[in-house]
Amino acid sequence: MKGLQTHHRAGRLSVLFACTLAALATCQNALAQMSARDILEQVEDSLRSTTDSAFNRIQLSSCQFGVRNNQITCAERARVKALESVGINFGPENRDTRSVTIVLEPPAEKGVGMLSITYDESDRDNETWLYLSALGTVKRIASGNSDDDTEPASIFGSEFTTEDQDTGKLDEYSLNILEETTEGGREVWKIEAIPNEERARKTRYARTVQYVDKERFVTLRADMYDQHDREIKRLLASRVEQINGVWVARSLTMMNLVSNRLSNMAILEINTGIDVPEDFLTQRTLTDVAFRETELQKLREQID
Amino acid sequence: MGRRAVILLCLLAFGTHARAQDLPDDVGFSLDGLGISDDLFAPEEDTTPDWLQPFTFRLSQQLFAQTNPHRVPVAGGGDREKNAYIENHRLSLLTRYQNPFAPGWLLQASAQIKLYWPGDYESRANGDRVDTEFRLNEFFVQRSEGDTSLKLGAQTVVWGENIGNSVLDVINTSEFRDLTIIDIEDARLNQWMLVRDRFYGNHQWSSFLNLYPEFNPPPVRGSPFFFEPAFNLTDYRRDKPLFEAGTQMRWSLTGSDISIMAAYLYENQLHYSAPPSGTGNALSEAGDYLLLGFSANRAIGRLLLNLDVAYSHDILVDVLLANGSDVGTVAVRKLGGTAGFEYAIDNEQNLMLGVTAETLLKEDEALEPGQQLLSDRSAGNALLRYSNSLRNGDLLLSVTMQSALDAASMLGSVALQYTLSNHFSLTTQAIATRADRDSALASLDHDLRLGMTLSWTF
Repeated sequence: MKGLQTHHRAGRLSVLFACTLAALATCQNALAQMSARDILEQVEDSLRSTTDSAFNRIQLSSCQFGVRNNQITCAERARVKALESVGINFGPENRDTRSVTIVLEPPAEKGVGMLSITYDESDRDNETWLYLSALGTVKRIASGNSDDDTEPASIFGSEFTTEDQDTGKLDEYSLNILEETTEGGREVWKIEAIPNEERARKTRYARTVQYVDKERFVTLRADMYDQHDREIKRLLASRVEQINGVWVARSLTMMNLVSNRLSNMAILEINTGIDVPEDFLTQRTLTDVAFRETELQKLREQID
Repeated sequence: MGRRAVILLCLLAFGTHARAQDLPDDVGFSLDGLGISDDLFAPEEDTTPDWLQPFTFRLSQQLFAQTNPHRVPVAGGGDREKNAYIENHRLSLLTRYQNPFAPGWLLQASAQIKLYWPGDYESRANGDRVDTEFRLNEFFVQRSEGDTSLKLGAQTVVWGENIGNSVLDVINTSEFRDLTIIDIEDARLNQWMLVRDRFYGNHQWSSFLNLYPEFNPPPVRGSPFFFEPAFNLTDYRRDKPLFEAGTQMRWSLTGSDISIMAAYLYENQLHYSAPPSGTGNALSEAGDYLLLGFSANRAIGRLLLNLDVAYSHDILVDVLLANGSDVGTVAVRKLGGTAGFEYAIDNEQNLMLGVTAETLLKEDEALEPGQQLLSDRSAGNALLRYSNSLRNGDLLLSVTMQSALDAASMLGSVALQYTLSNHFSLTTQAIATRADRDSALASLDHDLRLGMTLSWTF
């Protein structure tokens, strides 16, 4: 399996190298030869880069949705959470993540903090600690592992789940390019991902169709289907921008078509490639506010 | 008056529910061809002036009533009529302040101002006048440098893995005035301490020194826990310097956190006895003791196991003296434990159980001939909590059951918290209590409380 991954990575790098140097026609040929797996690996690499040595500010908005003037809109005032997060990737092939997230808004939850260690390894439990400011104590949360036979964990109570942001599971899917088309005016590959028997027991999605931007390797849209081939969720991406050479969608909207609720994840600030001290991503950061603010100030100075 | 208030409460509770259901259940359209505007989620501009940034305010109005007219037992036999009545009718402003004013420095404070409107038991005890109360909760300055942090001022130290009923959560005093609390700060009282933390990777060594230990305040006149004492219960007379000190070492391992701790403490609850003259102020006695503790948790998938163990050396127990009429105290040893679990049923539902049991060790050896314990040698309680978070957390249902292990008293609560907006929330709650005639909570037997709290946080 390692050999297979190396092969794919080498193939992807060659394609990028070719795209940089060769004529457009040659580049298009190389892209045309990319497999669905090559494409999604490159998409995942971009996703991982947004959490590696990263200092981000995120806004999560959730609401019941409806339609007005041919636009999807909130049928009520959206509930907004503003989060500040610092994370690094580590472990084999940099596929594990350690991050600290602090709630800035709403005022009722201000100061609540979470330390998460997410392991890519299937049988290893993720670790999560929550700091409850009203109780003044850190509490371990049993969060299960990435491959639990249970429902994926919701991200801060939103429609996004850990499964929606999961990477490194491509081996467990059958991947096919359905067609080359356009989405939002951009040329895209329409790629279908069907979980294998083992994965099917762990996912809520019997089939996913992704629309991947052919130039930027960003998923612009994803449709998730249940076992009755009924679309249950749809992801829409917008505000695609290049940050440190990587194209990133700064606004993601996940619509739950069963409950008619949506959540939007807006990356208000994204700073990657910063030097995060190892002792910052520990429980101390949750409880020791003087330490946390001093270290955050140092991170902000790196950005400035 | 009381009945009208209850009807109003019920209408408000059901009215809120109805409004929540008015939202469309089924949009019923195809998404294809529809767009979504990023402007919909554009962040609001923060217009808060810099000097207000460190503050958070929560303004809460609470209305609660005992709604079940019935008869309750009284001390000495017999019973009395208990009508429906308003118990809590109060406004609370909680202010939190957190300011990292210089690198490595933090000033943190929180305080409450309460207004007790006519009808509230605090107002009734004050001649039906509007009463006010101010309480400073936290007030400390913190200095962090290198691997060390020092905190000086009024603060809390929480030990133990089980939240809400741990045998190790005894450092701070507490005050449960009634069955409803607006903020957790209502119950846990801060103490003036120096706290030093040292951090080594996944280890934390935490120590505290308290040069002015406080004690649980006596029940507030008019509150549901109030009883008319035979003598005045006054503050502890400090005829010698008191201090408390303790230390805890905590390790975080893969899937588990482990702590060991030791402390020299004073019991939070004073022991009272009759004054020698037979009238006036009761004599109060503070018991100092040594606490040794151990706590651990273990995460297995979505299950979290919690264990707290406490050994208390030279803790005081009330005894009936050999003369058969006077009450005194005897120092004994006590072993206690809290075992519990938390299970995440799914993303929305959680189940939590904690069982606490404490027993005296070889108390017979400590008792002199003719002396009798005034309380059971073993006691305990169980706390069961279920919560269900719906609509991305906008609607939170929580069901709580708390009971003495011998089932002498029980409390059941159902609460529904609805987040009306980013700043407003409404909580409606029903609390039922049952207690045996010889229980300390006998006066709450067959009570049913209904109420609501509207909060504005900004």
